[in-house]
Amino acid sequence: MENKDAIKKQLIKIFGVDFVSDKQHDLYMYSYDATECKAFLPDFICLVENTDQVVKVIELANNEKISLVPYITGNNIGGLTIPVKGGIILDFGKKMNKIIHVDETQMYAILEPGVTFGQLDVYLRKYHPNLRYCYPFAPPFSGVVGNAILSGMNNLSTAHGSMGDWINGLEVVLHDGSVVKIGSCFTKDFRKDNWYSRYPMPDLMGLFVNWQGMTGIVTKCAVQLWLRKKINTFIIAMTYGINATVEIIREFGRTELIDDLSAVSVEVAKMSLDFPMPRKWDFEPDYAILIPISAHSQKHLQVKLELLQDVVKLINKRVERNVILTDFNYLSAILGEGVRCFADLPNVVIPLVEYSGLTWVGCYAPITNLEKLMEGGKKIFEKYEVPAFIYMKSMKGSHYAIWRPIIRYKKHEEEAKTHDMCKELLEMGLKHGIVPYKTPIWMAEYMKEYIIDPNWVRFLGDVKSFMDPNNIFNPGRWGL
Amino acid sequence: MGIIKKELIKNLSNASKIALPSSIDRCIRCNTCKYAKDQYYKSCPSGEKFLFESFWASGRIKIARGILNGDIPITEELYDAVFACPTCGACEISCQAPHNDTIVTIIESLRELIVDSIRAPERQSKMFERIESHHNPYNEPHFDVDEIKKKYVLPDKAEIVYFIGCTSNYRQQTIRDATLSVLKKLEVDYTVINEHCCGSPLIRTGQVKNVFNLMQHNMDEIRRSGAKLILTSCAGCYRTLSKDFPKFGYEFSSEIKILHISQYLNEYFEKNPFPLRQKDTNLLITYHDPCHLGRHMGVYEAPRQLITKIPHLSLIEMERNRDLAWCCGSGGGVKIGYPEWALEVATSRLEEAENTGTEIVVSTCPFCKTNLKDAAIAQKSTMEVMDLVEILDKYLP
Repeated sequence: MENKDAIKKQLIKIFGVDFVSDKQHDLYMYSYDATECKAFLPDFICLVENTDQVVKVIELANNEKISLVPYITGNNIGGLTIPVKGGIILDFGKKMNKIIHVDETQMYAILEPGVTFGQLDVYLRKYHPNLRYCYPFAPPFSGVVGNAILSGMNNLSTAHGSMGDWINGLEVVLHDGSVVKIGSCFTKDFRKDNWYSRYPMPDLMGLFVNWQGMTGIVTKCAVQLWLRKKINTFIIAMTYGINATVEIIREFGRTELIDDLSAVSVEVAKMSLDFPMPRKWDFEPDYAILIPISAHSQKHLQVKLELLQDVVKLINKRVERNVILTDFNYLSAILGEGVRCFADLPNVVIPLVEYSGLTWVGCYAPITNLEKLMEGGKKIFEKYEVPAFIYMKSMKGSHYAIWRPIIRYKKHEEEAKTHDMCKELLEMGLKHGIVPYKTPIWMAEYMKEYIIDPNWVRFLGDVKSFMDPNNIFNPGRWGL
Repeated sequence: MGIIKKELIKNLSNASKIALPSSIDRCIRCNTCKYAKDQYYKSCPSGEKFLFESFWASGRIKIARGILNGDIPITEELYDAVFACPTCGACEISCQAPHNDTIVTIIESLRELIVDSIRAPERQSKMFERIESHHNPYNEPHFDVDEIKKKYVLPDKAEIVYFIGCTSNYRQQTIRDATLSVLKKLEVDYTVINEHCCGSPLIRTGQVKNVFNLMQHNMDEIRRSGAKLILTSCAGCYRTLSKDFPKFGYEFSSEIKILHISQYLNEYFEKNPFPLRQKDTNLLITYHDPCHLGRHMGVYEAPRQLITKIPHLSLIEMERNRDLAWCCGSGGGVKIGYPEWALEVATSRLEEAENTGTEIVVSTCPFCKTNLKDAAIAQKSTMEVMDLVEILDKYLP
């Protein structure tokens, strides 16, 4: 970069001398993440505090043709904040992390980008105990807004779908520095009480959701909250074989009786019990399916459980070995508290933090093809001699599913092997209709070459060019 | 990723030769180390102050990795990110990864690597020079052990050695005197030795070249005393004698036990009734957990139990207590390296103590007392800062 000193001076003017760094070790922090995605160094790190600073830095970036990469906590598992073209990391996680407003009646919260799940959970429990948000299968210090605008899944997904579906409004700074409010909050003045809906106006939200920061910088986000019911408990289904597992995922999802449903291969359950490289024994069930259920009363809960038992009875008539449905609280008391990390979200899911590397082929998937995906995925895990870590979920009443093979690895030693494994999983999955979410660049490029209609690719590029003529917003993503 | 540059670590202590390469494949930066687990409130003084990723535990592990990979050059530019940390260990409590109990060791090893490769930051290096010349980090003339022995009529050999520690011996002498007095009042068979610095300030700041001599000297002195029990009134000395001596190859024989004075006195008053003095007034106190006693050594309850055994004392806890306690800000070389920031951290703790509605904040570490007291003076606070043994001495007839 030719005029780095001059740019640094301008950044210091915008953010303050204590909140801009170009020191090698500070840059290094943001050059890679847990995934096997290639590392790139940024040129500057800036700690953002307010929207005004974002407006000014966008003006600077346009003038200097330097890229801007928004960053919250870097836990996306997609390499999404690795600055592939260098430039400025805008770190929102440290100072721009206020919960601006919670509307108790209309059940939404307006958040700054840096708010984390742990922070929101504590805040709601303290000040709005009747409300809850949702929590992903991720550390408590993952960003809410980042997850929402990347359509992350969560522990209410079987009932309500992805977090992207629950965004009521956004405040975004566009390429020309204008600040635009999207959703029912689109009035001239800022009001806390009108962030209640995304519709019915033309849905401009789609210009930002799932775009990985390529079209503008989000500075506020309103997310829907949900009633925290009186009873929140868990049951667990243990299944033998692929058919029984998929039957439970599909049929339970359709009942509208449960909050969520997460199926993990039995090896994963063992990982949380301190088995370092667990294997499944023949006599053991293949999958453990954790099912959070909420209810207004014991009677309500009882009815739900009876109806679910009826579903199991029907399934058991169709499968080779019976599905075991039991109380998770009882099971966890026997197995040990370690397994509760999957249930008591937000929480650190222990198996995910045991190595220095973590990656996945995280996908939305047609629920009709789960059997093929499970079978294909298992073979690839076996080929690479890695314990199967497969995570699946019924989404939004079983309209679709999540299929997510997860790979924990030693980053220093096993990146190349891990990438090969991911590529095989991707290729196999694409044959069965998956669409990777929080899509890493290499996956997007693979899909553009082999799968996606060129007209879609061209249209994507056209929209990007319109939204970001100088290509300053997180360039390189989706190969743009 | 590249190959570990082994030549960088060839001169380091054995502990660091193990700890540093282990950092290369640790930590996915899940950020859990940044805040108190489950409660989600602030727990890392360094990260909260400086904010950049490099100033949190996960960042320091990454720095170690980057240096060993050859991605980060060792220059003075690294000083703040590596040395501006009180190594309080709050990150170790929050982190849920398998390496959680090695984070402080990795940070200390990283400091050792930097000191070995370039030199220690100027302020911290003064401690090294002072300990070399006077056996204490305060540049005070070496204390006269015979004078203390004479004053308290202490024998040359005894069952117990009271290892005074430099901060009590040269700065917070009221803690030393109170400890000597309490042990005397309880008719304990103890003595003191011609001790040198335990080595803690050097280990915490990566200046380990001289610690072997210090440890050898202190071990020889303790052996000569014939003691089977070493008592410390300093949380830092307690940690160093218990954990760091073995780490550097100086392990006491299994016959020799090491206890912090709060543990010893708590056990003592389990067996012996507390002698009552009638005229004492009731006192409301709050207790500050020293990092070196609490998180580093797991001693949380003994001081509290001792407090409850003292008539007329009532303990009111601060919001952040035990393993979630906010650090006083003085450890890890921060008090000498970053005095103003150390005071800020202590001020925050003092405010938390004031919020309990008590009048006295009690600790069990002379270094915590120093920094909290400095904060109280700077803030013109009416909160009194005392060591538990000082209170005990007042209450014992």
